[in-house]
Amino acid sequence: MERKHIKNQSKNKKLPIIDQPLSTDFMLKLENIHTFYGQIEALKGIDIEINRGEIVCLIGSNGAGKSTTLMTISGILRPKVGNIYFEGESINETLSHRIVEMGISQVPEGRRIFQRLTVRENLEMGAFLGRGDFASSLERIYSLFPVLKERERQLGGTLSGGEQQMLAIGRALMSNPKLLLLDEPSLGLAPIMVSKIFKTIKEINHEGTTVLLVEQNARAALKLSDRGYVLENGRITIQGKGEELLNNERVKTAYLGE
Amino acid sequence: MAGNELRVTSSKNSIFKARPILVALWFSILFLPFKGAKAALILFVVLSTSIVLSRSLLSYAKSLREKGQAVSNRIRTIKLSTRSLFVARYSLLLILIALPFFVRDYLLDIAILTGIYIILALGLNVVVGFTGLLNLGFVAFYAIGAYTYALLNTALGIGFWPSLPLSVGLTALSGFVLAVPALRLRGDYLAIVTLGFGEIVRLVLNNWDSLTKGPNGISGIEPPYLMGISFWRLSNYYYLILIFALLTIVIIKRVYSSRIGRAWIAIREDEIASSAIGINTPMYKLYAFAFGAFWAGLAGALFAGKMQFVSPESFTFMESVLILCMVILGGLGSIPGVILGAIILVILPEVLREFQLYRMLALGSGLVLLMIFRPRGLFGGKSVSLRS
Repeated sequence: MERKHIKNQSKNKKLPIIDQPLSTDFMLKLENIHTFYGQIEALKGIDIEINRGEIVCLIGSNGAGKSTTLMTISGILRPKVGNIYFEGESINETLSHRIVEMGISQVPEGRRIFQRLTVRENLEMGAFLGRGDFASSLERIYSLFPVLKERERQLGGTLSGGEQQMLAIGRALMSNPKLLLLDEPSLGLAPIMVSKIFKTIKEINHEGTTVLLVEQNARAALKLSDRGYVLENGRITIQGKGEELLNNERVKTAYLGE
Repeated sequence: MAGNELRVTSSKNSIFKARPILVALWFSILFLPFKGAKAALILFVVLSTSIVLSRSLLSYAKSLREKGQAVSNRIRTIKLSTRSLFVARYSLLLILIALPFFVRDYLLDIAILTGIYIILALGLNVVVGFTGLLNLGFVAFYAIGAYTYALLNTALGIGFWPSLPLSVGLTALSGFVLAVPALRLRGDYLAIVTLGFGEIVRLVLNNWDSLTKGPNGISGIEPPYLMGISFWRLSNYYYLILIFALLTIVIIKRVYSSRIGRAWIAIREDEIASSAIGINTPMYKLYAFAFGAFWAGLAGALFAGKMQFVSPESFTFMESVLILCMVILGGLGSIPGVILGAIILVILPEVLREFQLYRMLALGSGLVLLMIFRPRGLFGGKSVSLRS
């Protein structure tokens, strides 16, 4: 679990190109990623590293490329330039379902639970790949989110927004991922629900799952995270430890509203 | 969930309450050009009174049911219902087996046709009902299955049983061929591509004179033989169809509750979420197309063996629509529903034969009525959940 010291946390726009040999300490590593939507360049050379056991957050305004980054990691979008390594293996060309099989699970934006299936069936679908033991995974989800056990037989679509978010996270965890990608888990939730969800994310992380969190709710996300990246117009402009970013003047004015 | 149900029933009630007169009026106006004002007026009166009557009957039945539920022990009802289901199933099977001893050939003929359509509709249900991919060219697979057997039999003299796997296999393969370009498309666009595929197959059959004899069709196809028994006799053919239809039901049911079936349902419910949980969505869509086509191939071969004649006329776009109607009428994705839908849509036109000209009108208005009162089909609408 040792952590590589992150060198150069300057606020320079230009980041150093990391050309050291591939280290297995990085669970996930994005190298100079350029992703396009047709002609539009959404990501203009992104470098991100995530160490084993960390919570890393990616903050930025609308259209900065946060979701695009997640989509590129999970193989739904393909980078035109650059490399993605997961546990030392290149996953640029890997099909998205294979990436899930390797241990990266995504909680998609807007939750996207199966509305017309019951809560339990949703979780069963999450275990589609059969990674790990089903009964113990289910037990774990129910202890993380007791409300899901209460509503086991209820249809997913009848849950409240917060419960649906829990279900979406639970479904992603059913495949026992090594790395959990969360796309705006606080979207459209009441503040109390947001803090509940964030507490659970911390708990999941303590149990050994590495987390990459994409958020607009910058303050809550940075408080939770070990490290953070600020994304602006498809480029990473600031990076550093969570509390460093919280005290960073630019982050304060642009994202924390101070 | 209870709240949801409440909302559904109350909205249904409002339709009942507010619109019986409007519904009756609409159908009467439909009839107006055919029989004049007097008949339309009579129809209007009959329809509106029957709708009002059925409304009160329904609410009475509902109150009865509620009372019954309050009284009966929950566990006992579950046990009873499974046992009665078991009894019902086997008595139904017995009736089906005994059928040829009681009924005329005309009815047996209809029963055979029903069986073929059940196989077809169940096959389409895999694509449309389970996986949620609209396929408007399903009849193409039916045609490929039928023509493959017809050609193998008349040109090469191969019997029914050896050519059955060939024609079914070829049809499944053609399902793959259609699926590959169609995988990139969704919804309306997919529907148009499948529609085009259906038309292409029909036009090829119609114009490739040297092979398919064009619009004249292929005649003189042998009915199947098995160990010296000819299935030329209607009652024998009826049993053959019965066995194949049961086989179709059992296999499709098994596949539906397997891992593959679950992947199909997940894709239907939410494709993005499906790929997020690691389902190889293009692959499973491909499976759905091929598996659905497989049954259409079987139905086609059985159809060719029964009619001993195939022509492109049997495989028009209307046929695709009819099969789709069966699936939607019974309830998308529900196996018993689809079977019922097939039975109704084969038998109803026969029953309404006396009305001659008005037959299709009555059938159409019946369908519209059904869609008003049970918009998710006869068996659909409860929930799509797999169990419980």
